[in-house]
This record gives sequence, C-alpha cells and structure tokens, in this order.
Amino acid sequence: MKRLIFSALLLFFLCVSGGYAQTKHDRNVERYKSSWDRLIPRYAKLQFAGSMGFLSAGVGWDYGRSKHWETDVLLGFVPAFKHDDTKVTLTLKQNYMPWKIHFSQKFMFEPLACGIYINTIFSDNFWARTPIKYPSNKYYSFSTRIRTHVFLGERITLNFDPEKRKSDSLSFFYELSTNDLYFISAVSNRYIKLKDILSLSFGLKLQFL
Amino acid sequence: MQKTLKNDIVFVVFFIRLRGFMVMRYFMKEKIGKIALWGVLGAVSLLLPACDLIEYHPYDVRVKSQKINRRNIERIESAFRDSDTIRFVLMGDSQRWYDETEACVSHINKRNDVDFVIHGGDISDFGMPKEFEWVRDIMSNLKVPYVAVIGNHDIIGNGAEVFEKMYGEENYSFIAGKTKFLCMNTNALEFDYSHPVPNFEFIYSELNDTVSYDKTVAVMHTRPEDEQFNNNVKLPFHELMKRFPNLQFCLHAHNHSTQITDVFDDGVIYYGCACMKKRSYLYFVLTPEGYSYEEVDF
Repeated sequence: MKRLIFSALLLFFLCVSGGYAQTKHDRNVERYKSSWDRLIPRYAKLQFAGSMGFLSAGVGWDYGRSKHWETDVLLGFVPAFKHDDTKVTLTLKQNYMPWKIHFSQKFMFEPLACGIYINTIFSDNFWARTPIKYPSNKYYSFSTRIRTHVFLGERITLNFDPEKRKSDSLSFFYELSTNDLYFISAVSNRYIKLKDILSLSFGLKLQFL
Repeated sequence: MQKTLKNDIVFVVFFIRLRGFMVMRYFMKEKIGKIALWGVLGAVSLLLPACDLIEYHPYDVRVKSQKINRRNIERIESAFRDSDTIRFVLMGDSQRWYDETEACVSHINKRNDVDFVIHGGDISDFGMPKEFEWVRDIMSNLKVPYVAVIGNHDIIGNGAEVFEKMYGEENYSFIAGKTKFLCMNTNALEFDYSHPVPNFEFIYSELNDTVSYDKTVAVMHTRPEDEQFNNNVKLPFHELMKRFPNLQFCLHAHNHSTQITDVFDDGVIYYGCACMKKRSYLYFVLTPEGYSYEEVDF
C-alpha cells in the first residue's frame, strides 16, 4: 500500500519536474518489479506417496549460495476408497541439500536431500484443534489434520543441453520419511522398529528458471 | 575428455545403487534413456502400492480386510459350544503401549486357563491404520481367540472404517457356552446424531432371541456416566440390558484403571479393566453357579 502511494506521488512529481523524476520513478518500478519477480516459481515438482497424498504436484523456489535450500508448495490428493471420498492435501516443504557432486556437465548427484514438510488434509473428518464438543481441549492432545514429517533422500539431476533445452534440468529423487505421531510411537516402544515408521516416496523436479 | 569419462564412471557406480545398471545404460543413450526412465518410474509407481513402505496418507484406509472378530467368534462358538464354564480375559486401552500389550499377550499365553480374550477398545491411540496393524500383529500371537470392541480412539480420523475392515461390525454378539456376549459401540461423543450410539435397533433385534442362551454379559468400551456415553439414554440403555436373560454384569474399558461400579445402585456391576500401561487385566470365570473375577498384574 505504502509503495502504491509512493508510486502515485512519484507519478505526480513526474508531471511537475520532467526528466529527473522519470528516471527515479523508473528505478523504483524496476525495483518493485524485480522484487515481485523473485516470487516466480523456479521449478515444478511431482511427488508420489510419502504420506502426503497419492500424487502431489507443486512449485517451489531455490535460494541461498549454491542453491542449497528449496521451499515447495504441493497440492496432492488421496484417492477415494470405499466410503472414504477423494481428499485434497496441501504440503509446505523445506529441503536442504548440503552437497552437490557434478559428475559431468550432464549429471549432478546430491547424496543427501533432507528436510521437513507440514501436511494438511481437507476433510471435515479431521481437525487441527480438538473440537469444542469434547469436555476439554486436551481430550485429544494431537491434531489429526496437520502432520509434520521429516525426510532423508538422494537426488540425481540431468542437465539439459543448453542449445536445445526448453527447461534447465530434470531431477529424480527418492525420500524416506516419518511423521510426528509415528515417531513418538516408536521412541516410547521397543516393539516399533525404524522400518515400521518409514514411508518411501519418489519424485521428479523440473527446473525452468 | 579423460576426466569426463572418469567422472562418468564414478557416476555410474553411484547410480547402480539408485536405479540399476540396465536403466543407466539406456539413460546414457539419450532418447531411449528418457523413455526407459519414464518406463521405470511408471512401473515403480504401479508396483509400489503393494510395498509396505508406500503410504498415501497416515489416515488412508487402504488396509487388508480381515474381519478378525467374525473369524474368532466362529472359533469361540464351536470350541465352547458344550462348556458350562467359560473363562476369559478382559483387557483394554492398548493405545500407544505396544511393549506392555506384547507383555500382556505373552502373559496370557503362559496360562492354560483362558478360553478367549476380549479387547475392551482403544486399540489405537491416534486412529491411524498403522497402529491398528501393530496391535493386530501383537494380538495375533495370542494362542486363544480374541474379539475387540471399538473404542473412542479407534474412531478418530478414519478409524471407524479401519475397525470395520479389520475387526468387522461395531455392534455384534456371540454365544460362548450358554452365555451371550453383547458387544456394542457406546462412544457416542465421537458421532453426530446421524449415527446411532448406542444402537437401540441392534439391541432390540438381539432381544428377539432370548432362548438359545441362559446368561448375558454386556461388553462396551465406555460405560454409562462416562463422558463418551450418551447419558441422555443411560437409563433406557441399562433397562434394556436388564431385559436380557440373566444379565451377569457389564464390561468396559476406557477409564485406564480397574473399576468395579454399581452405576445404577441396582446390583448390576460394571467391571472396567485398566489400560495396558498399568500392566493389568481382569480374569473372569463363569460357572453354572455364578461367576468370579480376579485382577491380574503382569
């Protein structure tokens, strides 16, 4: 809003004082545009399974020196099953890839891709907070709707030929993840082993910016 | 040139671990490679749902349909058809106490004076299919048959559907010896009025037959006057229970401690077992003369 008022004022001065103001205005517009430009997604992702839906698709942004960090927003779905109808899920995912190994111009390998994702499911059957019908808000001390997952995985990236390319690169990744409720079940019981709480997923990332 | 070749070899070694050598060879041949990669991914995504590690959502109900109650009731009804003494265990609230539930199962297995086991509900803690599977795997080690009633924690999320697939109907009955065990869903707080809890239609239909058994035991997860019970109908519910032939007592779980309560001051006792965390269960013996019970710590 402030920016808008500022631009309007600038426009006013532009009429009054000619050339000088125009260049300053141009610079501001440029800065304004480039700050919005940063919001343009830099890649698209498709992920199969991983306790966030059957298939999830979305976009994301990579940043930091050497692009070690990535943030994705994914929309997924859990297919209908008997009485249970199709449900939509939304995932916010933070990735960290500490190492990038360039084998050749064409192939790049990331031996570790790890991070955290928060998933929510859209359905009246699930709640984020204990509904008011219960005698206390601690009646169930957890949320059925919002799950926090942690994951570890690896990635392999194929860089496209710069001459012929339509997009920059295609990565294939796999991940092993677990969520908060599985984790607390496992830490409090010897019976629950690591393999019992892991969830495997696969995905593709298409970099276009 | 040499260096790229060397790098590619290192890459191949890494990739063998990921996808296998064949795919790699195709992958390197550009166009065919792309087709092969998509082919492999397609095949993987088609084959993997069968794999245990693939999960679409923690509450996804894609679990094996087993109807454990139905199968075990057949075992109980045929094995004890002519017995006039029935000995059983009431355990409950396994929730997140898997180690304790395992200890309970092995403790019961060591005895040879148990005909069957009743799990009083709250099989799971969060209502997630995986929890049902863990408890099912532990309980399947029991040498004697068991039945389970649905608890309030087993309804959370898609739990009720998981219970239905794994154990069967939420209201059911069986006859062991000459005793009818009437098992009901009483977790009214988990439902809206669209779902009748307790289900009087079921209770009335069970009352149609009062001749093929001598005694009755009512089994539920949560008893009248608990916060989960529909206490607006606690009296009619109790009166209906008393209409069953020779009602011995009512059984419940839910309150995480051993409870012996004459809820309506009329001599009909509601026996509640402790949760698995307390490492305790109730042991009942029904004889033609009457019944006895015992609290067992393990």
